[in-house]
Amino acid sequence: MSRIGAMGVLSALLMTGCLRPAENRAVRDSKVGRAEGGGLSLEVEDGLAAVRSVGSGEVTLWGNAPVFTVRATLDAESTSAWVLTVRNAMPDAELLAELEDGEVLAVEPVPQVLPTVKAWRVGLRPGAVARLRVAPPGWESTAPFRFAALADVQEALPRVGDIYARLSKDDSLRFILFSGDLTENGTREQLLEFQERLEAGSPIPLYATMGNHETFSKDAEEYTALVGRGSQSFVFQGVRFTVVDSSNGTLDPIVEEQLEGWLAASRQGTHVVAMHVPPQDPVGLRGGGFANRGESAGLVGKLAREGVDLTLYGHIHSYYSFTNAGIPAFISGGGGAIPETFDGVGRHYLAVDIGANEGLREASLVRVD
Amino acid sequence: MLSAQSPRSWPLALALVGAFLVLPGRALAQDLEPLSAFELLARSPQLGGSDIPRDLPGRATVGTPRRPRMPDASLPMPDLGMQSPLPAPEWRAASPGPFVSAGEPVGAEASSSDVTPAHPEGEAASPSSELLVPASTASAADVPMGMPAPLTPHGVSNSPLSPVPASTEALLDSSRSFKVVPAAVAVVPGLLFHGLAPALAGDGHTAKRLFALEGTGLGLIALGGVPIALTGASRRTIAPLYAVTLAGFSVFGISALANLYSVASPAFDPGVPASSLPPLEFEMGYQYVNDTSFDYDHFVSLGALARFDEVKLEAIARLAPDEGNTQVRLGGAYRLLGEPERNRAGSDGSSLDAELFGLFHRFPTEGFTVIGGDVGFRGRYAMSRVSPSLAGSFAEASIGMALQGYSYPGPVSDGNLHSQLLFSFGYGVWLGRGGGPFKGEAMLFYDHRKDGFAGGLRTLGGGVVGNFGLRTRALLTETWGVAAEFQAGGALVGRLSLVYALGGES
Repeated sequence: MSRIGAMGVLSALLMTGCLRPAENRAVRDSKVGRAEGGGLSLEVEDGLAAVRSVGSGEVTLWGNAPVFTVRATLDAESTSAWVLTVRNAMPDAELLAELEDGEVLAVEPVPQVLPTVKAWRVGLRPGAVARLRVAPPGWESTAPFRFAALADVQEALPRVGDIYARLSKDDSLRFILFSGDLTENGTREQLLEFQERLEAGSPIPLYATMGNHETFSKDAEEYTALVGRGSQSFVFQGVRFTVVDSSNGTLDPIVEEQLEGWLAASRQGTHVVAMHVPPQDPVGLRGGGFANRGESAGLVGKLAREGVDLTLYGHIHSYYSFTNAGIPAFISGGGGAIPETFDGVGRHYLAVDIGANEGLREASLVRVD
Repeated sequence: MLSAQSPRSWPLALALVGAFLVLPGRALAQDLEPLSAFELLARSPQLGGSDIPRDLPGRATVGTPRRPRMPDASLPMPDLGMQSPLPAPEWRAASPGPFVSAGEPVGAEASSSDVTPAHPEGEAASPSSELLVPASTASAADVPMGMPAPLTPHGVSNSPLSPVPASTEALLDSSRSFKVVPAAVAVVPGLLFHGLAPALAGDGHTAKRLFALEGTGLGLIALGGVPIALTGASRRTIAPLYAVTLAGFSVFGISALANLYSVASPAFDPGVPASSLPPLEFEMGYQYVNDTSFDYDHFVSLGALARFDEVKLEAIARLAPDEGNTQVRLGGAYRLLGEPERNRAGSDGSSLDAELFGLFHRFPTEGFTVIGGDVGFRGRYAMSRVSPSLAGSFAEASIGMALQGYSYPGPVSDGNLHSQLLFSFGYGVWLGRGGGPFKGEAMLFYDHRKDGFAGGLRTLGGGVVGNFGLRTRALLTETWGVAAEFQAGGALVGRLSLVYALGGES
């Protein structure tokens, strides 16, 4: 009898797992950016950076947004001299360190070779809480800007440098918004190689969400540790960017609730939403979108009602321009993974011009090959 | 048996008929042409015939026909225990009615009150009844071709075409007894090697057919799947390649389930398709949906089904009283090949339908409405045509396309017309045994469509895969029945309905 009961419980768990395959990742997201070491406790607000290491007077973060703030609590007995290194940072990023009472702490930049690696010496106050904000100048302005949209590098990782070389020719690009499938299997080695190639080849940072290929290895545990959250939202120059984890062709209820908050926060502003698996595949017979068409229709309807200006997707290795519930939508899966043939498009990315007041100004296809 | 209902339908069905023709039209054990009662009698061993009158589809050995051993009364009967070709003396004495054996009069029609069932209730089937042939008296007009004859309430077959009642035919081939080892092998590694279990059970014919089906399925998967991978699922080629790949999966899945059925079926008598189904059925029931993406869960399920000669009309409604979700599906099917369900007239249940359905689905909480239409073909194939040991089961497949528009109230607009590939396959069994009002079917199936309540599986590959389920519908009496369905996709769906039939009284 107990065996039958155990089997029943196991079956129920399996069923629940099948119904919410992204639940663990959504829960894990909430822990991104939190770490302790060497007497320093870190908490990155909204999980917009992953803590790669902390201790012995050094902190290394992997930034997953152009602007983020770290709440640093230092023990009374710990050393006050710390070096903060931010990888995948905006090339012109600056560090502002201040205590909770508004007192500004001394910060000294440490020169770096790579454009997207920034480091500062900062004197923290033992026993006090400091706020460390990493941001480029003018991040609070509402000036229009340009970013690149890219997805699906996967097994083309050894050749991804071609894309970065093409990106380098456009000085106006501020960052890359990556819609998932950085690597083929999401292993630690592959993700580290992706980041090394990015830092070596790209003059601008890359802010990403995960794709289904990242989940192939330990349900994207390595992605969470090395890159950061699968679902997050940040604001840059008045434009909100939201990425959500749709790797399993669905949004977990936790993510959907977070999304509703981000949508409400930018109801009147310009809002870009990106995810890996598109809710709706423009080629319906192929059905490369969400697992439930009702869910996808409900999602894009919600995005439309909340005034989203642009949706960006990956997963399909080609370029598509269409609308979902009236919102301009682009699939730019031109990172190099097995390309869709007979489409007349090889490796590519999108150059998107957008502004806080103007909304979407232009999205241009940029061919790499 | 495939038969054209209307010559005008042939052009429409030609492509799908090709798939049917790949498989043999009849099992070898079946007669090539119907026999009259007189012919059947003339061929009987009692009148000097050299072969059994008609081998039975469910249990006959294919290849060299299994011939009844004629016992010589002058020779002592060896004690073969359960393998004895003759009934135990006490059982023979208790079976005076419909059974005849060598040396006994043929066609002794027992009065109903004298008839003893083929086997006493609860008694294990004995291979000794291999030589027992019950007398038959009635016409075969309403008996499915190649299927066991319906029994009278007293266990007597009423058709000369199938002179052995279903309950006794299982005993005709003693090698077709249920065996544990093949049944276990049918699961591991049989689900990968589909002919292995029947081969272990001594059914070489079925083994060859299942290996051939499995090979065909894998070949189709490769034929469609490899180009899909190489072309990156190109929009230019995906539709035909997808159809071929899914067809491969369906053939593979059907052969996998046939492998299980072939070794499990000796444990029970095979079902037969109902000779006729009522012209009108209504159903009302309850549906529960567990979907983490939607607020709805409880539904009232309503349905109506009208059967005409070649046309079947269907209406389905699912209503969530508390949440307001409403799905209505209206449409029908036109029978291109096969006998109509109203009167199968001896058919084994194989058929091909053209289907057309309209869909209205309102999602008030999510704020949109879907309006669309489906068009497609649905075919059903009696698996006894693949191998006699698969009698009582059938395979079903459908292919089609849906076009849908999404309407959002208020300022949101969407002018897109969304298409969807419709594809399903299943493996089912007929539940009725030909006697009495009980009739129905049950089917394990895969459904590729993503716009239903179950949606598709949320997998590592995104949302490409559809859902799986079990569907059953049975009339327990001439007017009352039940329908039940369970689906597992991105959501879990369960439905149970009460069915009321009109006009099905015999």
